[in-house]
Amino acid sequence: MTAVSTSETPAKPKRRRRRNLTLTIGIVVTIAFVVMALASFFYLPHNPNVPRIPDRLLPAGAPGYLLGTDALGRDIFSQLMVGARTSLMVGAGGALISLIVGTIAGLSAAAFGRIADETISRGADIMLSIPGMVTALVLAATIGSGALTTILALSAFFTPSFTRVIRSAALSVLQEDFITAARLYARPTWFILLRHVLPNVAGVMIVQFTLYFAAGILTEAGLSYLGVGVTRPSISWGMMLNEAQQQVGISSPLAMWPGLAIVIVVLGLNLLGDGLRDVLDPKLARRT
Amino acid sequence: MSDRRPLLAMQQVTQAYSLPRTALFSPPGSFTVLDSIDFDVCAGEAVGLVGESGAGKTTLTRILTGMERPQSGQVMFDGTDIWAAGPAARANFRRSVQMVLQNPRSSLDPRMRVGTALLEPMRSLRIEGDHVKRLHEVLDQVGLDSSALERFPHEFSGGQLQRIAIARALMPNPRVLVADEPVSALDVSIQAQVLNLLKDLVRDLNLGLVFIAHDLSVVAYTTSRVSVIAAGRIVEVGQPVELFTRPSAPQTKNLVDAVLTVESGLSGAAL
Amino acid sequence: MTTAPAIEVKNLIVGYEDLNAVRGVSFSVPAGGRMGLVGESGSGKSMTALALMGLLPSGWQARGEVLHDGVNLVTQSDKALSSRRGKTISMVFQDPMSSLNPVRRVGDQIADVIHRHSDVSRREAMRQAIDLMVQMNLPRPEQLARSYPHQISGGQKQRIMIAMALACYPQLIIADEPTTALDVTVQKQVLRLLNAATRERNSALLMITHDLPVIAAMCDTVAVMYAGRIVEYGPVQEVFRNPRHHYTRGLLDSQPTMDNIALDGTSRLVSIPGMVPPLQRLPSGCAFHPRCPAATDKCRAEMPELAANGAACWHPVGATAAVEA
Repeated sequence: MTAVSTSETPAKPKRRRRRNLTLTIGIVVTIAFVVMALASFFYLPHNPNVPRIPDRLLPAGAPGYLLGTDALGRDIFSQLMVGARTSLMVGAGGALISLIVGTIAGLSAAAFGRIADETISRGADIMLSIPGMVTALVLAATIGSGALTTILALSAFFTPSFTRVIRSAALSVLQEDFITAARLYARPTWFILLRHVLPNVAGVMIVQFTLYFAAGILTEAGLSYLGVGVTRPSISWGMMLNEAQQQVGISSPLAMWPGLAIVIVVLGLNLLGDGLRDVLDPKLARRT
Repeated sequence: MSDRRPLLAMQQVTQAYSLPRTALFSPPGSFTVLDSIDFDVCAGEAVGLVGESGAGKTTLTRILTGMERPQSGQVMFDGTDIWAAGPAARANFRRSVQMVLQNPRSSLDPRMRVGTALLEPMRSLRIEGDHVKRLHEVLDQVGLDSSALERFPHEFSGGQLQRIAIARALMPNPRVLVADEPVSALDVSIQAQVLNLLKDLVRDLNLGLVFIAHDLSVVAYTTSRVSVIAAGRIVEVGQPVELFTRPSAPQTKNLVDAVLTVESGLSGAAL
Repeated sequence: MTTAPAIEVKNLIVGYEDLNAVRGVSFSVPAGGRMGLVGESGSGKSMTALALMGLLPSGWQARGEVLHDGVNLVTQSDKALSSRRGKTISMVFQDPMSSLNPVRRVGDQIADVIHRHSDVSRREAMRQAIDLMVQMNLPRPEQLARSYPHQISGGQKQRIMIAMALACYPQLIIADEPTTALDVTVQKQVLRLLNAATRERNSALLMITHDLPVIAAMCDTVAVMYAGRIVEYGPVQEVFRNPRHHYTRGLLDSQPTMDNIALDGTSRLVSIPGMVPPLQRLPSGCAFHPRCPAATDKCRAEMPELAANGAACWHPVGATAAVEA
């Protein structure tokens, strides 16, 4: 009978609460990141590109410098703010372009017959077989490095994966009976795609967007770290890491701040993606 | 209207799909799904089509509703061959033959309000008229109240959703309704409601009903004439009671033997 | 044959958060007995089955007693339960495709079960597996044993599943809609096999289905579930021939049979009005009252318990004949 009493209080649904927590952290981090990036347009504590030699290598909390200064006396916090702007622009830009191109390609592959499907799917396979970093390096070498180049490289890198995900999501929607019904009352394919398939794959699109947004920020940091990303007066967290690397012996926090920023934002976006996946997945939603 | 002039008919319809080549130079094979099928339905008549899965029921349905063009044979609606007819006759065919699908959960777009879903056929087929009045008329016919219009499919039970799917099919005022396993996804107590509804519609609206199922007893209850399909051929046509009591084709006999009833179970004769 | 029941369920409650899908269910299947659990979707019959096997989806909790072999399965650890599964209790699921490992030969899968639960060599286990396949009337068993699940038909897969369930001479087999996914013409063969094989081994059978004729053909006793409770419980012959609960009678009346087909097409099935209530909005009192022809104020206020006549109903069929007429 002990059994009955121990199980008298049904276990709280731990899983769902954890899911909500995931989503909440993701949203908070993402909003903080976006606010920081947008605020950089209106207010910066200091000009992040102007050296102030007397104030060099100040520690965090020094008067006037929230997170201290770098080897040339430039304010770290201001640099992080401008870096956030770059990350937002490049990450979101790359993810958005691949989202648009990938959705169009994925829906077309799913709906317009075998030839379209084969062409698009094999094309995506070929693009996936080219390493992303190489694409980025080649682009940087040919059209010069910068934010726009990085966005283009990211788009080329992410579009095929997007295409595949959207294609398989669309294929499963296209098997549903309501598509058959729409065909029965003579809706053309493009209409079915826009009206029925797109809204039903929107959840997948949003989740994929946040995940690739994060991946884009990470890749951009990597490229800038290698010196083929953005250049001053633009600032990127990867570039800050690169510069800090030369001073690691003197001041390790210099590398810590941009590193921490990257980790927090990428983690936050991934949590957001995971949380959204659980909320938007109709199969999970129906059960609750 | 029972002048035995078929409203919708298939005449000598044959459909084959090509199979991929097995070797580089061998000719591509083909697989006959439907073989010289004759099938028809009159106004105010309910006809059944039974067969095992893989017998060709789905392909027959697709051809009957104009979703697929047969390789040979004709699909006649109201006396005209729909694949030889002009656009006006085709449009008339499209609005006059509507379909109810098996799974009500998947036959309505989960992200579309019921009202919008019901108007879809009207918009797509460019049917003029007072759509709002028609909405209420049709909801009344299937026994739902108009509060349903503002709601989403997940707010309804399976039986209600099947009523909504039937309502959508009725919107363009069709003359033939093709129902593909309309109750097999529903609970027993709800099946009877939907079957009764279909029978009422046939009577009240003088509809032609094509009822497709694998369960002979359900078909027998709903229709007055049943065709048995097996391996792409119609092997037997007759009144349901006749088929039940005196099946002549072995495939019909198989289907009859497969029917389990509570009575036969209780008397120990079922297995 | 022992006198202890194969399984005895006492006041089983299965819920998710504060929603209970099964609301106090009690029944027992005697050793070698055959019981049917019948209900519609949302009746709680499948959750009952999963609770008996310890296979509830995450977040779901079972309370109450499920006595089998002298232990309460509800309190057993997952590990203890899984060593029991397949040995003294086994289960046949609705969808044989998703219950078989797609990348393992079917013969090996049957042999695995035998090898895991008994002291025989791999070779002997395989020999017994082929034996079982012969008993299941599977054609060319040696050859079939080397096939993968996707190479064989649905009916064959379900027979393989039954062979696996029977492999260790379990005391109890739980079959959850074992033939629903099969083609009509194959259904009867599979039922016949399940029937004969369980009788031969004297395994008790708990048949869970929405299909009344299947229960009538296979079971000795039946429990009819509605909205998470058993509303009628008794010998099949009695319950189906002379139902006491209005829900049972409604279910029986909604079956299309030869008797209620009229030649002129004017026949109407008796149908139960309304629909199964969702768990979140169960009616007060007797959950069936909004759909019941004999409902009174008492039914709306008080929940009836199973009475001596086997029905949980304030106004059982027969006793209320005057009211209905």
